[in-house]
Amino acid sequence: MSEMALALQDLVKDFDGKRAVDHISFAVPRGEILGLLGPNGAGKSTTMRMIMDIIAPDAGTIEVLGQPLSESVKDRIGFLPEERGLYRKLKVMDTLIFFAELKGMKPAAARERGRMLLKRFQLDGYEEKKVEELSKGMAQKLQFIVTVLHDPELLILDEPFSGLDPLNIELVKDIMLESRRQGTTIIYSTHLMEYAEKTVDSLVMIHQGRKVLDGALAAVKADYGQRAIKVQYEGDARFVAGLPNVASCRDSGRELEIELADLSKREQLLRDLLGRVVVSGFQVSEPSLQNIFIRKVQEGAGA
Amino acid sequence: MNKILAVIKKEYKVIVKKKSFIIMTVLTPVLMAAMMFVPVLLMKVGRTDKTIAVADYAGGYIDALNARPAKPKEAKKKGIDLNAADQQQAMQQGGRITFQPVPLAGRDAAALVKEYEQKVLRKEVDGLLLIPADVKAKRQLAYYSTSVSDFATLKFIESTLRTAISKQLLLERSIDPAVVDEATREVDMETFKVKKEGTTKSDSGMDYMMSLFMIVILFMILINYGQMIMRGVLEEKTSRISELLIASARPAHIFYGKLLGIGLAGLTQVAIWIVLAGLLVTRFSGSIDAGILSFLTPEIALYFVVFFVLGFFVYAIPYAFIGAAVNTDQEAQQFAGVLSVLIIVPYILGISAIQNPNSALTVGASLFPLFSPILMFMRITTAIPPLWQILAAIGLCLLTIWGLAWLGAKIFRVGMLMYGKKPTLGEMLRWVRYK
Repeated sequence: MSEMALALQDLVKDFDGKRAVDHISFAVPRGEILGLLGPNGAGKSTTMRMIMDIIAPDAGTIEVLGQPLSESVKDRIGFLPEERGLYRKLKVMDTLIFFAELKGMKPAAARERGRMLLKRFQLDGYEEKKVEELSKGMAQKLQFIVTVLHDPELLILDEPFSGLDPLNIELVKDIMLESRRQGTTIIYSTHLMEYAEKTVDSLVMIHQGRKVLDGALAAVKADYGQRAIKVQYEGDARFVAGLPNVASCRDSGRELEIELADLSKREQLLRDLLGRVVVSGFQVSEPSLQNIFIRKVQEGAGA
Repeated sequence: MNKILAVIKKEYKVIVKKKSFIIMTVLTPVLMAAMMFVPVLLMKVGRTDKTIAVADYAGGYIDALNARPAKPKEAKKKGIDLNAADQQQAMQQGGRITFQPVPLAGRDAAALVKEYEQKVLRKEVDGLLLIPADVKAKRQLAYYSTSVSDFATLKFIESTLRTAISKQLLLERSIDPAVVDEATREVDMETFKVKKEGTTKSDSGMDYMMSLFMIVILFMILINYGQMIMRGVLEEKTSRISELLIASARPAHIFYGKLLGIGLAGLTQVAIWIVLAGLLVTRFSGSIDAGILSFLTPEIALYFVVFFVLGFFVYAIPYAFIGAAVNTDQEAQQFAGVLSVLIIVPYILGISAIQNPNSALTVGASLFPLFSPILMFMRITTAIPPLWQILAAIGLCLLTIWGLAWLGAKIFRVGMLMYGKKPTLGEMLRWVRYK
């Protein structure tokens, strides 16, 4: 049994002359959660589609669960496509059974596990409703159930949190963590890096089809040191970027994420801030993935 | 294999549970039954047992009326036209008519008519037949009734009296009664001849109608199920279910499962129709037009099933192509329109095929796989073509289906995942080579 749940080697895909995926390689050890991060259009979905054999790569190799993707391997994967879709006229339970059967599951087992998951997602009582009768949020939940119903060894989730309300985002996150505890490997993409920060073991950052960074979350953060300072404030903080010793500053309106060229001179920064804005918090912290990403992209553009 | 089964099961269940499926399944046999019973029913309208009063001034004719002539044996023969000139036959199928002698007791005709007009209105009798004393010379009868459009009854009276008068005239001229019988029999023979001609004509008319009816049904369900596949594939494509499907099973398996599932639903519908038709025919064979009875044979039913199945695959796969290739309903309908025209061609050719079932054009076209499901079936319903031609048509269809299925799986695979732009024919051909 291979240690890697997934291994991509030099994956390339062109669409109409435009390179969507440019020599991407990474591997995911079994039992880990990997976040595939990057802005919209970075090539995350294309990469996932190639993993699922929905589109063929122009070059490169993919190994899933230690072998090239085959019919029987597909049965061990749960895939949540970026664009959700279910049969509108099919009833909820029939939908679950159909897709579970396509994954090689027996109808009776699918029904039983389907009931359990529907209950978990507060969709019990909707078994005999048609999919078109569900609200958009409910359909999203149903789609997630379809993905995990056959208890896959590998979950490939394209933007799993999109379209969900905060409660259900928590629920999906819980189920992902639970699955990992049971040994499931999870790869998920998101452009919302704040979510990724809280769940992933390792990450791959993609920008314009290229991998800009990968590694374990802790290692990535360590690489970027403790140079970031977070300031919660009220007022107009536009002047901060022009201060001496400020390498970069990201202003979110009520929070600044500042990197200093010399972290030891942070008290000078605080003095500069006081009096010009109302400071309600000031702490040295790890840089956010968002910030790391922006820096990586800028470095790439500068280089 | 299990995955194909899962797709078949799902497609089948979805269609069979549709309201439109149930309505069509029920409605078509109703139409079928209407076709069978309406001609007979029409004839029976307002027909019950009748009593006709007969004022027989000439004398002796009432006996001729009540002594109904023996049925000609050919009444049971197939294809008797119930609306045509076989009055006795028609009347026996109608109600029983009692001819009731009116005591004349010296009353004159005018008074009698007055009295009976009231009786007719009060429905004490259904009519009054006045046979004047000089009927032999003038050949003039009078019939009084609220309904004088009972064609069969009137014809019966007319012809019976005509025969009776002829007989009487001959007997009056001292002709041997045996010869008289012979002579009247000859009159019967003549009627029989005319009737036989009429029979042949009406029979082919009935064949034509039934054949047209079945072909319209075949045509309708082929288009219906074809479009169903097209919409299904398009739905999977536009709703991106296709990604989930292809991430779970081999595209060709999904494609074949889809075809088979929808095809089985169609076959179920056809089977229900055939069973119902069979029940109707056997249960009510007495009251069904004999022409229909001779048309709806088990062979015809078998060929209907065979050509439905062949036609289904021949047309459904191109419909699936369309669904996989386009992106919107409107585009799909445009292409589907073109395909429908292709299905109409054999239907139009078929009209000439009925007249010239063995012309070179008809034979050639009925072997062409895109036309044969409809055209060959049409030929079978009108004039059975040589067996080799039927088998050749079936064989060619199977070959075509095999080729289309292979092509279809490929186009399905690529088309399902092509979003956005409308592909050109050249691109679709390139899809075939796509691995």
